[in-house]
Amino acid sequence: MSDLIQAVISPEEIARAAMRLREVALDKDLSPRSVLELFERWAAALSGNGTEVIPGAPFLRLWLRRGTLEPILERELGQAVLNGGWREEGQAKLRAFPLGVVGHWPAGNIEIQPVLSLSCSLLGGNACLVRVPSDLVEATHLLMERLRAVDPTGMLLERIKLVTFDHSREDLQMAMARNVDGAMIWGGDEAVSRVRALPFPHWTRLAVFGPRLSFAAMDAETWNKPSERFSWCQRIARDVWQFDQQACSSPQVLFLERGGCGDVSPFMDELRQAFRAENQAHPRREIHPSLTSAICLARASWLLDNVANKAWFSQSPDWTILLGEGTNIPKPTQGRTLTVLLVDDLFQVISKFDGAVQTLGLAIGSAEKEEALAHAAARRGVDRIVKLGRMHVFASPWDGMDLIRPMVRVVRHVPSQDNAGSARDRRERIVSDIKRGENDPESCKSA
Amino acid sequence: MSNLPDIEERIRPLLASEPYKLNVDEHQSALLALLKDELAYACGRSASICNYVERWPIDYRTSSRIADLPFLPVGVFKSDPPLALVDRSEITRTLASSSTTGQVPSRVVLDAGTAKRMTKGVMTIIRDFIGPTRRPYLVVDTAATLAGSGELGARGAAIQGLRSFATELVCCLNSNPAGDLQLEVERLLEYATKWKDAEVLVYGFTYVIWNHLVKALKDHGVVLNLPNARILHSGGWKRLQQQAVTKEVFASGVADTFGCSPNRVIDFYGMVENVGVVYPDCEQGNKHVPAFANVIIRNELTLEPVALGQRGLVQVCSVLPTSFPGFLLLTEDIAELIHHDGCPCGRRGTAFRFVSRAPKAEVRGCGNIETFRVRSSANIA
Repeated sequence: MSDLIQAVISPEEIARAAMRLREVALDKDLSPRSVLELFERWAAALSGNGTEVIPGAPFLRLWLRRGTLEPILERELGQAVLNGGWREEGQAKLRAFPLGVVGHWPAGNIEIQPVLSLSCSLLGGNACLVRVPSDLVEATHLLMERLRAVDPTGMLLERIKLVTFDHSREDLQMAMARNVDGAMIWGGDEAVSRVRALPFPHWTRLAVFGPRLSFAAMDAETWNKPSERFSWCQRIARDVWQFDQQACSSPQVLFLERGGCGDVSPFMDELRQAFRAENQAHPRREIHPSLTSAICLARASWLLDNVANKAWFSQSPDWTILLGEGTNIPKPTQGRTLTVLLVDDLFQVISKFDGAVQTLGLAIGSAEKEEALAHAAARRGVDRIVKLGRMHVFASPWDGMDLIRPMVRVVRHVPSQDNAGSARDRRERIVSDIKRGENDPESCKSA
Repeated sequence: MSNLPDIEERIRPLLASEPYKLNVDEHQSALLALLKDELAYACGRSASICNYVERWPIDYRTSSRIADLPFLPVGVFKSDPPLALVDRSEITRTLASSSTTGQVPSRVVLDAGTAKRMTKGVMTIIRDFIGPTRRPYLVVDTAATLAGSGELGARGAAIQGLRSFATELVCCLNSNPAGDLQLEVERLLEYATKWKDAEVLVYGFTYVIWNHLVKALKDHGVVLNLPNARILHSGGWKRLQQQAVTKEVFASGVADTFGCSPNRVIDFYGMVENVGVVYPDCEQGNKHVPAFANVIIRNELTLEPVALGQRGLVQVCSVLPTSFPGFLLLTEDIAELIHHDGCPCGRRGTAFRFVSRAPKAEVRGCGNIETFRVRSSANIA
């Protein structure tokens, strides 16, 4: 293990680490502006240095830029947040304060997620206790080394403790839960349920980003347009390839609306080309044997179950395209296995969605139609409706939730002295006094 | 166009020959043409198989190696009804895999011809390991496991597969009203006394032998005194791994219980989908491929055959089944390739060692969703 990520073996180690983090979080203010400045430097340091092989690293570089995060901060916490201090609201003054120590339980399948998750709570001024899943230790270490290079005084690093331990160590999971004031929990059903059930103190705020599914959809006007077809196929391939199609925002099924255009062959040819090209550009470096088995089974089952079904795939488990029709949504296989379903009406597909669907990637010719589809999807529980090719662009809100605000307390201060009220109040009083003075010279004198 | 009589005719000499005499090249060329014809036959019998085979990235008709032929993952045999290349009226028996609780078992259908070849295949292989003589057969299981003529479980199929070596068959377990297996101690001791100097064949599932015979007798300090017993066992190690029972611990524990040498305890690998083929350990601890079958160990990243000493997913190949498409099957097991040829035991051809079932992926993360919120996936589908 490294000095950046500690393999912990006892609950006491976790409790001690949390205590130190809490002292830092409570004793030292961390202004969003200084966090943004350091993040900007971190982003710049993520070019090269071996981090380029980490899936999602290019996105992380963008995410950490001031241009990305400043608007998110302002939208979630108000425009005054960057200047620090209190903002006024009527008689009261408001200001965001950190919860204290935020525990992070990232999913085990997204290499950059430990960093994404902690970045959200650092922007709220919190300290972070992060359980790094065993498969992500190496990638997280590389990313954190870059932070260390740009944070020599440890302004952020002193607020971050990365730990790793086997997920089955219930005592360590419990120790983490008992010592945090907020928790950001990401992952699949089983993992999320297990973490939620841990003995958090009653004040701990939980932000849960549980398992979701994502789909893509195109209307005939788009998939049948020769001039644009290949670039759409490239965008689809990009969305499928990132995170090996195991992210909640990964498209599992692409719905193609027929719209009177019968022959899907040219589109499928170009989709195949795009998959091959993407595979060449981003070859898989490793795969779990059970995923290989699942991919082989998905190919065979698809073709055996219905003789009208078609499929194209590489001889390796690298990529798979399954073509069929109808609105029946097959169980996702992941691992770059995209099911393409021809449908008569995209609205019919959307009517079958529920809150399990997170993202709908769209390529629709008509803006009015797209708006109607987006509205229908949102009503059915979809939280993100984005352009194809941008399905993984991590942004706030995510899963319909803000990313920074859940981990801050917005403190309300109503001053005890009226004359210590807001500037607006003071202005109003002065104006009113002046007006009174104009009518009453004596009063004006006394003022 | 391949026809069944022609295929059967070509399988016959492979089954009749000594199972481990061909080198790898001879073996490959003997099987490749036959497997291609069996694929063509399967395509003619089943439109769905044809749909799969025709979509395979390499045209099997022009393939020059078995590794390029279209294989099926064993999971497809969980379908209902089972995949078949024969009419329902021709099915004489259905074999079902042992599945862990809550899982759907694999099922394969046999017609008379396939069933006959299955028996012959197992006999040919086992004979090479224990000799041709018939002997008293002690089954570490219940008689009920063998009952029923329609569908037979994996334990029953394995027991039946060795019946050709038996003069008489005795089962030494029964099940109580709750369904728990219990050792019939008196019957077993009587059997041991009767056959104490004889060559005896013993078979049971690995965990059944350990949990219901070895442990039960050890608790009472009983040794059976059957020094000439041959104990064959199969069925996986998962349940014993939980008890930290390794292969060596198992062999020595069983040998102590039977009063024989540990090298008389033979583990074999097999599965119902790979009918007629079992892979016993040779004295070097390796598993060998008989003339009528093949094993390809595939790298999980590329699905290409691995090099010597490497591990990967096991693909089993067999020319024996014609009632279901079980010629080329990718299993969910991991094995290591030991030799292409030249095992000191004298058996020629590919040798491998079973490692484990492919472990389930630990966490598939935020995209791992099994159920929909409002309605079940079955409803949404």
